[in-house]
Amino acid sequence: MAKYIEMIRIRFLMMLAYRTNYYSGILIYSINIGAYYFLWSAIYGDKGEIEGLSVVQMTTYIAVAWMARAFYFNNIDREIAQEIKEGKVAVEFIRPYHYLTMKTMQGLGEGIFRLGFFSVPGMVIVSLIFPISFSATLSTWLFFMVSIIFSFIVNTQINLLTGVLTFFFFNNDGLIRAKRVVIDLFSGLLLPISFYPGWAQNFMDFLPFQAISYIPSMIFTDGFTQPEIWDALMFQVVWALLLIIPIQLLWVAAKKQLIVQGG
Amino acid sequence: MKHAAIFFHYISQYMKTRLTYRVDMLMEIMSDLLFQAVNLIFILVVFGHTQLLSGWSRDEIIFIYGFFLVPFAIFGAFFNIWDFNERYIVKGEMDRILTRPVHSLFQIILERMELESLFGMITGLAVMIYAGSRLDLSISWYDPFVFLIMVIGGAFVYAGIFVLLASISFWSDSRTSIIPMMYNIGNYGRYPVDIYNKVIRFILTWILPFAFVGVYPSAYFLGREDWYGYAFLTPVVGFAFFALSVFVWNIGVTKYRGAGN
Amino acid sequence: MNNDHVIHVENLRKDFKSHSSRPGLKGAFRDLFNRNYSIISAVKDLSFDVKQGEMVGYIGENGAGKSTSIKMLTGILTPTNGEVMVNGMNPHKEREKFVRSIGVVFGQRSQLWWDIAVQESFKLLKKVYNVSDEDYDRHMNHVIESLDIGPLLDKPVRKLSLGQRMRCELAAALLHNPPLLFLDEPTIGLDVLVKLKIRNFLKEMNEKYKTTILLTTHDLTDIEALCDRVIMLDEGQIIYDGALKKLRSNWGEGKQIEFQFAEQQTKETLSPLLDELDSEWSEGKRKNVWVANVVNDENVISEVIGRVVAAHRITDIKIHEVSTEEIIRNIYEEGVIHGQIH
Repeated sequence: MAKYIEMIRIRFLMMLAYRTNYYSGILIYSINIGAYYFLWSAIYGDKGEIEGLSVVQMTTYIAVAWMARAFYFNNIDREIAQEIKEGKVAVEFIRPYHYLTMKTMQGLGEGIFRLGFFSVPGMVIVSLIFPISFSATLSTWLFFMVSIIFSFIVNTQINLLTGVLTFFFFNNDGLIRAKRVVIDLFSGLLLPISFYPGWAQNFMDFLPFQAISYIPSMIFTDGFTQPEIWDALMFQVVWALLLIIPIQLLWVAAKKQLIVQGG
Repeated sequence: MKHAAIFFHYISQYMKTRLTYRVDMLMEIMSDLLFQAVNLIFILVVFGHTQLLSGWSRDEIIFIYGFFLVPFAIFGAFFNIWDFNERYIVKGEMDRILTRPVHSLFQIILERMELESLFGMITGLAVMIYAGSRLDLSISWYDPFVFLIMVIGGAFVYAGIFVLLASISFWSDSRTSIIPMMYNIGNYGRYPVDIYNKVIRFILTWILPFAFVGVYPSAYFLGREDWYGYAFLTPVVGFAFFALSVFVWNIGVTKYRGAGN
Repeated sequence: MNNDHVIHVENLRKDFKSHSSRPGLKGAFRDLFNRNYSIISAVKDLSFDVKQGEMVGYIGENGAGKSTSIKMLTGILTPTNGEVMVNGMNPHKEREKFVRSIGVVFGQRSQLWWDIAVQESFKLLKKVYNVSDEDYDRHMNHVIESLDIGPLLDKPVRKLSLGQRMRCELAAALLHNPPLLFLDEPTIGLDVLVKLKIRNFLKEMNEKYKTTILLTTHDLTDIEALCDRVIMLDEGQIIYDGALKKLRSNWGEGKQIEFQFAEQQTKETLSPLLDELDSEWSEGKRKNVWVANVVNDENVISEVIGRVVAAHRITDIKIHEVSTEEIIRNIYEEGVIHGQIH
């Protein structure tokens, strides 16, 4: 366990070293959220609410969705693909840790850094500029925290899946890009899932993506009722468990492939 | 003449290597299509809940999107050097570039081109034709030429911004996450900029002039006369930004520190 | 400057600004807002000239400033201070025009395109350097033949072995027949046969076209085989610039006489034999082998051998010159130059 915690710490330090990243990041995220705020204000026009969300709730939704993204987002799919292509993964196999766990911990290190130094101050700045409502109930905050942990888990699992698929393709860039686009749309980052037509919503209920962004953002904006929150958390837990299966299967297959081909 | 010869040689090489990895190429085209679809879906879903976006109709917004795709495809094919820092600075490939007697940016553009992106032009034209026919737009004989100039101007705006961002690497080789976010900000130029407040409008017009890749030039074709001034500035802003970026790039090259220092 | 100087370098200097990280998490936080910067001079005050047709070995330990100075000579880096004139041009100011007049091989970095066949790379470079068909045929046919790369031309670079690739790299660097060639570690990781082939080729080019060659390498046998002149760098400064022979005669003035004794010996039993001869014993690598380090003087050598043979039974005797590598190691260890020539 200590070695994984060390991994988190190292990543954390690495992130701190890139300070241009840090300053520019806060600025860019603020511009991004700002542009969305005005776009949504224009969409709302003089309507009081759409699909049960008021303009202020919608703004909050967008702000928290982007700030939470800073926490769960990572590039470990790209990193895994890179390491596979460069033949470094073969070396990782003989090291005394589980490669995928190690990658997850690196992602977590990055995430914790961005949460503390980026999302929280960023959210404060954004809330000074735009009308954002913070929930007054403690339980909302607790549910939200549990929920973004599962966002991280599900998103990371999907990244691991796409990354490991590189073993079976020559070049995985297309798939990685496609995954990114699908997650932006189906996770609820760009649009709350409740805005989609009914048939599309039903379809998305069978996919894991809304566990990444829609659920924590809706909890944060008080857009869910208490029973809905429990349902949503169950949805996240079930997907977090289900996704372990394909990852393990692919990983075993990848190991076999590696032994046969020698990298 | 020499540059053109080199350009075509690179393209023929590119074709040869790409055709050997056909599955990859297909995947890339598919993921581009998916990306284009996502933005369209966003517009469609939003207009499922409203009729007008501060006076602009659904079809007008779709038309702007279609227009945007064309310069964006050209940018994606030639100027999308988002991994410049990693590939050329950190790995030291810039050393090799600098020992050749051709302008360094030109070489990098040729090495990094992704011609698959040009398929986006087809999508863009199709979307424009769809929206345009629903809007009953009339076309004059000179409109195709205006379109061409607007597209080139727009592509240069994008190219200028990304070359400027890549140039930062000459001064600081630390990784930045600016570039991925830039793609998001680029999206906002596709909406009528009068929905934003003054600051963001100013940014999208003069600092990161993405509005010149979407709403401004499209306003000309949509016959929004109050926007014509901005529309005709498109090629000017494009060339100015691109020239500025090449200028900054050239200074950056003299600041290049080499790999491993 | 003198016109027959291909390279003219005066008071050349390159500083790098670098930041030092504070230790630990707390330090990292402080770095976020306020950094410690320091200026490091990779190259300080370098001056030398190279004449046309010279083959110069450029040596130094890692971090001595070798690659930084080569990169300034090739126009990749801009000097902080000082004057560089190469082929009558200022490398970084007229980069595109200048690089036509040089050829560069970086041993650790490929100049060729990875995915395409070698000859496609050549064709592309031919266009890049504007080489006419006649010039190309006349010159390259010969290069391809001498380097024996004809059979490799239709293979993609990624399928070549290191030795094959290196020969192709060399051919690519010479495609426009430059009068000046920079080679940075061209033989790194190559086997002896390929090394010999490359050396012979370089000698041939030098004789045929009077190509000036500047070579950096870790392998001193390259330099011994090719270069009459060496420039030695340490901490960004030249510590020796002169003929390789002179370096040898000033530093390698001693000889080593290696005795294989029939019986076991100790320093005590042997020391008296060298009394008043200003020589010293060191233990050899094998059993019962001792080496007498003596000055290069026929009387001394004869005297040592005479005394040893008279006192002990020996089974073998060898006389060595001190190797260049040893000389250079000595120079770096002691840091002082006896035979400094400037």
